[in-house]
Amino acid sequence: MLGLLRALGVRFLDWLGALGRATLLWASAMLGLPRWQDVRLVVTQIYYVGVLSVVIIALSAFSIGAVLALQFYTQLARFGAEDAVGIGLALVLLRELGPVVTGLLFAGRAGSALTAEIGLMKTTEQLSSMEMMGVDPLKRIIAPRIWAGLISVPILTAVFNTVAIWGGFVVGVNWLGADPGGFWSGMQEGVEIYQDLVKGMIKSCVFALLVTWVAVFQGYDAPPTAEGMSLATTRTVVISSVLILATDFILTLVFYGDF
Amino acid sequence: MRMRTIEISVGGFVLAGILALIFLAVQVSGVNTTQSEETYQLTARFSDVAGLRPRAKVSMAGVTIGRVSSIAVDLEWGDAIVTMDLYGPPGELTADTSAKILTEGILGARYIGLAPGADVEMLQAGDEITETQGALVLENLIGDFLTSLGKS
Amino acid sequence: MSAPVSDPFIEIRQLTFRRGDRVIFDGIDMDIPRGCITAIMGPSGTGKTTLLRIIGGQLKPDAGSVCVDGKDICRMDRAELFGFRRNLGMMFQSSALFTDLSVFENVAFPIRVHTDLSEELIRDLVLMKLNAVGLRGARDLRPSELSGGMARRVALARAIALDPDLIMYDEPFTGQDPIAMGVLVGLIKALNGALGTTSLLVSHDIHETVSIADQIVIIADGKVIGEGTPEQLRAVPSARVRQFMHGEADGPVPFHYPADDFAYDVLGELT
Repeated sequence: MLGLLRALGVRFLDWLGALGRATLLWASAMLGLPRWQDVRLVVTQIYYVGVLSVVIIALSAFSIGAVLALQFYTQLARFGAEDAVGIGLALVLLRELGPVVTGLLFAGRAGSALTAEIGLMKTTEQLSSMEMMGVDPLKRIIAPRIWAGLISVPILTAVFNTVAIWGGFVVGVNWLGADPGGFWSGMQEGVEIYQDLVKGMIKSCVFALLVTWVAVFQGYDAPPTAEGMSLATTRTVVISSVLILATDFILTLVFYGDF
Repeated sequence: MRMRTIEISVGGFVLAGILALIFLAVQVSGVNTTQSEETYQLTARFSDVAGLRPRAKVSMAGVTIGRVSSIAVDLEWGDAIVTMDLYGPPGELTADTSAKILTEGILGARYIGLAPGADVEMLQAGDEITETQGALVLENLIGDFLTSLGKS
Repeated sequence: MSAPVSDPFIEIRQLTFRRGDRVIFDGIDMDIPRGCITAIMGPSGTGKTTLLRIIGGQLKPDAGSVCVDGKDICRMDRAELFGFRRNLGMMFQSSALFTDLSVFENVAFPIRVHTDLSEELIRDLVLMKLNAVGLRGARDLRPSELSGGMARRVALARAIALDPDLIMYDEPFTGQDPIAMGVLVGLIKALNGALGTTSLLVSHDIHETVSIADQIVIIADGKVIGEGTPEQLRAVPSARVRQFMHGEADGPVPFHYPADDFAYDVLGELT
């Protein structure tokens, strides 16, 4: 019994230590004014992390929008309320699915790539050699990638929502025959800019922070072996996903809790 | 990767994001220019506003002419006081306009329906609508029905 | 252990460094002479790379001082450390080239960081350095397209980009084919002579190292067990030094990992 407690205690302290290291990493990388030259680095990273994710985001968005519209339509048709497809789609996407699915996809695609890249740079001593030349690898390598994540994820979420609604429109209106006027007007009546759009974007910003933070830290902290790195990339995806879903639950309660 | 290609695609990416946001704001959330129109406030007392929420629409003949801005309770009289923002300049509604709390379609969102009266005088900003009918609450209806059955 | 060096470039006094429970360095003293090639040798895991990192200011020792050209590294602030690193070139074991930059950009990196030179000047400098290592034609290749030996040479070009006073080489000969090895040895010696820098070499390879080193320091168990020119060390009576210098399989560093009696292990009884 005592042995179990002791093991748990050690585990907890390890976890606490990791959290501390992660916070220090984030703070050291992000604090301090960015320099003009660093903007170039951020732009490059936005390309790798954001632009290259657009395809998977758009494809997923279209499919999800289409599927949602299909399911909603079928159920709503029983009450003769097909036009509510629009508002149902919009609310679900803006409030929940948009930020969450974008976050999960981002963690899987860009998050794991970030972890692998940083882990590799650490293993091949690129970070050390940079430091020996007097360049702070935290500011030059880590910080631009964090900024790129913080900027890209909200943009990707907006793109996701747009494409998904369009996908829903194509299925609901063009294919299944809901009334386009009802589709849009029902949506506009029921969707509020602060309650739904803004709060959804706030969620996506929080997810952006979490995923990027976890991805960068796992890469930086990974032991410099092949096994260590593969473990780190898996951890990034798993931890990010769990954090996204848990935080979504909490934020949903906070934002929409007065049912 | 050439830097120029990267810069252009990142610019396009950010632009796409901004356009998406604008689309979501305008087409999806229905943010429109009439929001910045002048509005004036009217109040109304109801015996029961069950289900009515702030931002519910205020309509006449099915056309939205305003929004509910706040709902408060008068603890002395036991009434609900609803404050509404009406679009457009005041003085268009008759002083004996009536307000009812109605239900929209099947999904049940409550809204306020105004019906015009015949008065010569018009409601001005800050006036109160006196002709009101509260929300029809199912339990009360059943209760009334049973009571009336019991009487006959 | 030997006569003090006349003109030390690096003076290490009472250096103590611990990692967790392990004592890596236990109050060691060392002098690295100016303008010569000094090799730091020792069994695996004695912390030779750690020593380089301490001298480079990446790690802080638990006690002691490391003075490079009169200034104590351990007491420097960020700005001083930055200035110090301008005069430091380091070649890592894995060449550590930046994978997202071309060969040209890799060599230009330290120049861009520490100076404000114009693009033309940078271009000339980079080409000169690449030429010195024989890779001027490879300037537009990516690190992934280079062989191991070529990558090491580019790393060398990068290390000398700013004509540093001190160059450190971490296991430069490990895993190289004989030709590449010969090229590197020649380059290290030539550069040292041409630039008058102090070179610090960490290596396992007795043969190559002895052929170019002016001074050798042997570290084992956190202490300096031998210091001097190659000839001096070969004559030293210490058993540990001899085992190392001659590559003997068994001696003070035992061949057998601690285990039970062999007969007992195999036969299951005491004979």
